[in-house]
Amino acid sequence: MDGLAVGSLYALIALGYTMVYGILKFINFAHSDIFVLGAWMSYTVALCAGWPQGQPTHIANWVLFVLVAVGVAGGVYALVGRLRLGKIPSGAWTLLLVSGWGFSAAGLVLVARALFAADQKLVAGGVILLVSMLTCGVVGFSLERLAYKPLRKAPRLNVLITAIGVSLFLQNVGQLDWMFGTRPQGMPALLPDKVLATFGGTPGATAGSWDVQPIQVRLLDVIAGGTSIILMLALDRLVFHTKLGRAMRAVSFNERNAALMGIPVDKVISFTFVLGAMLAAAAGFLFGQKYSGLGQPAAAIWVLLGLKAFVAAVVGGIGNIRGAMLGGLLIGLAEMFVKAYQSPAVVDIYVFGILIFVLLVRPGGLLGRVGVEKV
Amino acid sequence: MRHGVDQHAMQPGASSLTTLVRAWAPVLACLLLAVVLQMVVGPLLVSAGWDFAAKLLLDIGINVILAVSLTMVNGFTGQFSIGHAAFMAVGAYVAAGIVYYGSFRLFGSAEMAGGLLSSAPEGRQGAWLTRGDALFGLSILAGGVASAGCGYLVGLPSLRLRGDYLAIVTLGFGEIVRVLIQSQTTETLYDPEEIAKTPLWQLPKYLGGALGFSGLPFYTSLFWVWVFALLTVLVAYRIKSSTYGRAFLSIREDEIASEAMGVDTTRYKVRAFVISAFFAGCAGALFAHTVGVQLNAGELGFVKSFDIIIMVVLGGLGSISGAFLAAIILTILPELLRSVSEYRMVAYATALILMMLLRPQGLLGVREIWDKRTWRWLTGSRTRKRGGS
Amino acid sequence: MSALVLEASGVCKTFGGLKAVQSFGISLAGGDLKGLIGPNGAGKTTVFNLLTGVYTPDEGKIALAGRSIAGKRPSRIAAGGMARTFQNIRLFGELSVLDNVKLACHVRVKHSMWASVLRTPGSRAEERAIEGKARGLLDLFDLADRADEQGKNLPYGDQRRLEIARALATDPKVLLLDEPAAGMNPQEKKELRDLIRRVRDEFKTAILLIEHDMGLVMEICERITVLDYGKTIAEGTPGEIQNNPRVIEAYLGVEAADAPSGASNA
Repeated sequence: MDGLAVGSLYALIALGYTMVYGILKFINFAHSDIFVLGAWMSYTVALCAGWPQGQPTHIANWVLFVLVAVGVAGGVYALVGRLRLGKIPSGAWTLLLVSGWGFSAAGLVLVARALFAADQKLVAGGVILLVSMLTCGVVGFSLERLAYKPLRKAPRLNVLITAIGVSLFLQNVGQLDWMFGTRPQGMPALLPDKVLATFGGTPGATAGSWDVQPIQVRLLDVIAGGTSIILMLALDRLVFHTKLGRAMRAVSFNERNAALMGIPVDKVISFTFVLGAMLAAAAGFLFGQKYSGLGQPAAAIWVLLGLKAFVAAVVGGIGNIRGAMLGGLLIGLAEMFVKAYQSPAVVDIYVFGILIFVLLVRPGGLLGRVGVEKV
Repeated sequence: MRHGVDQHAMQPGASSLTTLVRAWAPVLACLLLAVVLQMVVGPLLVSAGWDFAAKLLLDIGINVILAVSLTMVNGFTGQFSIGHAAFMAVGAYVAAGIVYYGSFRLFGSAEMAGGLLSSAPEGRQGAWLTRGDALFGLSILAGGVASAGCGYLVGLPSLRLRGDYLAIVTLGFGEIVRVLIQSQTTETLYDPEEIAKTPLWQLPKYLGGALGFSGLPFYTSLFWVWVFALLTVLVAYRIKSSTYGRAFLSIREDEIASEAMGVDTTRYKVRAFVISAFFAGCAGALFAHTVGVQLNAGELGFVKSFDIIIMVVLGGLGSISGAFLAAIILTILPELLRSVSEYRMVAYATALILMMLLRPQGLLGVREIWDKRTWRWLTGSRTRKRGGS
Repeated sequence: MSALVLEASGVCKTFGGLKAVQSFGISLAGGDLKGLIGPNGAGKTTVFNLLTGVYTPDEGKIALAGRSIAGKRPSRIAAGGMARTFQNIRLFGELSVLDNVKLACHVRVKHSMWASVLRTPGSRAEERAIEGKARGLLDLFDLADRADEQGKNLPYGDQRRLEIARALATDPKVLLLDEPAAGMNPQEKKELRDLIRRVRDEFKTAILLIEHDMGLVMEICERITVLDYGKTIAEGTPGEIQNNPRVIEAYLGVEAADAPSGASNA
């Protein structure tokens, strides 16, 4: 059960990796940091909304400040553009969009606060999830525009290195004092939790032995697993049953031809990034609920989690959305079995072992194909 | 033109003596330079009160080995290894195990038993090299060889995997190595009698696990570090400037064309991994026996790998001198920036991104500082002949 | 006529449901100069890829100097004496022009990498020999004064010639040229024609040429094979090909404009 819940979280993160890879053919190393950001954002927002726990971080003020600054800059830019060129430049629209997006997030924080005051904790939790998803969406959008877009024609190695750079950047900016700081924090419980049911198991079983553990169904796991599955189904529908999804698939198939067919490639790519970032943020939120401790942003544990989600994407067949879901669940379950029957310390060996094994046996992943370079 | 290579090969070039000198003089020069660093520069720095500079020279040397060795994989053949620190870890633990338990078995304790060339500048006496040094030197090589073996294993999947998939495998390998070491028992044996009693094949279990391997003798000196650093550079340079270097570079430029010209790309990629891993293993062995280091696999994870990658990328993918310079700069810089250390990584990350956006080939590209083209580029007198249609 | 250096028969390759090449056969002896033509998508480059080992043939025999090479790695086949150029130029862009050619000499190198690292007398002599050979080839191809430039900075025509020089540096018995005249102006084409002949005469290499410029093909090739939809529809001397009704049919309407002196004149 635990495995299913964790697996579905992996799957959520893996989706972001896979979508970006499917379209731009590069590993977005910064994706795991978006996930971390999502977890920390929900923590911050929860504090702003009034949850009485832990040390406040300073980020809220800064976010507000940056939003106002961006908004003002966008406004000025738009005005200048209007006066000098007679039309509002697209850059100004971007800035205004970002700031508008941020303001609505700020508004939502206030809503969450009111809901919390009114003791509607579950709804407030949902709003916090939304805020954190929105913020990460904006961050994903900006990253794509600033760091990756100029490199779209560059060799893949360069993009890979840039992604590592972005990842290090996010981690270390997050660690600064005026952001989240370097201290681990406890995540307030935003969602209810209780044991719903217990099945079977050998009486008196202890961890690490070959006894069968009793299986506990916890409400939190159900919520976490349920939320991720709902999000995944929504994504699946979006990609396979809407016009936008068709555009995404077209771009992933052949960017140049898609552009020739009149698909706004840039917008589709941005949208993909935003979508991936939002899913990662949701995973971050749920993860924070499941394991109430938040490590510092650059803590190895986070990076490792992101890496494992990435492993899930590769195992399932990178670039393949359903593969990512499958891979996530597979890795989550494998992890839980190893934890239960062997030692938690060696989990990673198995995870990466699976990765190497799958890559050697089926280089394209379970559901993936291997492209052949045309000569 | 069918005659070509074979006939000319028989031509007596310069006299055999000159050839011999030109082949071995640089090697001797490396040795000599390392001795000078150890016997002259080190004591001078210490007597001037700059102990930290002497220590820094050790770190620089180790980083030079790491960066230059990674250049052979990431720069020459254009593969992307993000698990370089794992090779370092393998070398470090193999060497540390040999030196630590070897010292107990041979000398009865893990005390430093080195000669002049491996001692710290203070209170020097005795022979230049001792049995302890021999043990240490052999253990470095053993670490290198063990690591090269791992390099072979990691390189093999390149039979089937292209660029970024291979990168993932190196990453996975790195994590597996780290976790394997960390999940061992945390015990380290320190009782000579117990160690003497324990059969040899059981000793590799006691390497400190997650707690780290402590109590290692500090053999690593300016001499040892710089002998290996300079030899690494020499070997890298000689490979790059030879026909084999061109074969490596051609893989990075265009694998299909390279294969069509008769370069067995798989074999060369594996080779690059093996050589690179060998030197990384040596660097790990040296690192393990440095003053103030407590060997811990946790520190040799992907964060360390990324550090090395940054050096290679900033220096210029494929440039030995670039990697050398970047290793020096990126070792000194953090010391200077200690007061604002929390911004250090932010600055690195920004530098990395900006470098990719503005100068994607790195500081020097594939060039070396001593190339003619570099000087033309530096002095701005770039007279490119444009012609044809 | 000397012994056959390249002998292929019954070579087939299918991609998915598409029969890209069907029972293709050709034989070349040292000094032969043959052409391979056909409308776009006829499978000409696929034939090259099959001969050089980039693709493994589904069926058929390919022998290079009497030894079967079907299914071997491209590098082994290159070592056996097959060299090629690429339709979409594949130079080592960051390397200098000289190094591009020197790299191609690598396949004949005898000393080991350790000898290189230790700079043994043998390795030095061989490096010198490579240098001499590469410079000689650059002279022949009129690229000597560009030796130190990066491959990617050369003008288009020079890049094409450098590709041929590079292929020759592997000491090939068979040289496959994939549209060497593409993108060249008439003057350059004329020079190329003389160059190809000279290469054939001086190096005694068998040459197989894919080319869309019918003038060039008809002028220099002794025999021509015509492909259409993967099938060999004609084989013969330029004169025979020009008057072959099936060839005219394959070309008319599709590439009539591209083939003024060939199919449409006939």
